[in-house]
Amino acid sequence: MKEKWRLLLTGFNTASMNMAIDNAILIAHSKGKVPPTVRFYGWKPPAVSIGYFQSLQEEVDVESCRRLGVDYVRRVTGGGAVFHDKELTYSIIISESHPMIPRSILDSYQRICGALVRGFRYMNVEASFAPVNDIITNGKKISGNAQTRRYNTVLQHGTILIDVDVDRMFSLLKIPGEKIKDKLINDAKQRVTSLSDVLGRPVLFEEVASNMKKGFEEEFNVELIKGSLTDDEINDARFFHEHYFSSDEWNNKR
Amino acid sequence: MHARSVYKIPNGKLLKIDLEYDPDNGLIEDIRITGDFFAHPEESVELLESDLKKTRLSEVELKQRINSIIEKYNISFIGVDAEGLTQGIMRCIN
Repeated sequence: MKEKWRLLLTGFNTASMNMAIDNAILIAHSKGKVPPTVRFYGWKPPAVSIGYFQSLQEEVDVESCRRLGVDYVRRVTGGGAVFHDKELTYSIIISESHPMIPRSILDSYQRICGALVRGFRYMNVEASFAPVNDIITNGKKISGNAQTRRYNTVLQHGTILIDVDVDRMFSLLKIPGEKIKDKLINDAKQRVTSLSDVLGRPVLFEEVASNMKKGFEEEFNVELIKGSLTDDEINDARFFHEHYFSSDEWNNKR
Repeated sequence: MHARSVYKIPNGKLLKIDLEYDPDNGLIEDIRITGDFFAHPEESVELLESDLKKTRLSEVELKQRINSIIEKYNISFIGVDAEGLTQGIMRCIN
């Protein structure tokens, strides 16, 4: 019989709440309160997230974000700054000791990204894992991923680009000097793609979610059962939202 | 004295170092390491920063010190390593 994992469709939330929910699931799973969980979500308003080790001041044009109604948040995971707009974001929360999860962090990136590669294939997009933490199609990045391990639990989250607006992204990020701005924007346009670009048609969030669900089920040989956050998770998420992810102390930590 | 470097590690991530040091004795007074790398556990980078205080700004001493801190806290880095950190720090003063 196939193992049953939980599938959460938490819809669209603020940056702070999104990060708070991932963290709340991590805590709940580490205490054995909830099964391994795959979550699909989006961002409303659009948001910039920065890696744990990045400086908000140096990476994000906070003034532009405020003016344009774009959120920003520091992630609990390392990696780079990401502009989250038209995308599906996933997270997976699972014990480090689960037999499906390689001990090595690098190998576990590849394993979890394998679920996405299968999901892309269901959408007729041939994609492959590009170490350390990207997925590419036709040589261009279509997904970026980041992982942390806390309390013997893996939290990996990542983006699946549905549509990408590089110019808008760069209007929110700090660029070291206007001179190289054009070059950076052109480079990014060459390096980054999206499902809509590849398929040449509009792509819906729900379509990506249902295909990625199949990808996770196939990669891990499990059944994803639609569920909801527990009361404890909701309370924890509110707490993390209020006291961590929306606080200047957390976001300006570095 | 304050110094700063931005260093793209070959085959790695972008490392940014902010350094306060004493030019008379060449010792680190304070250091902040930022960038788009990964480190597990994440808090270990703060420990690394604080343990690097009073380290001499010499390539050999830095690398030794960084390696021993990595071992002490069992830090796993992705996209950066002791060599990259050493180079990034040395670029602040060279």
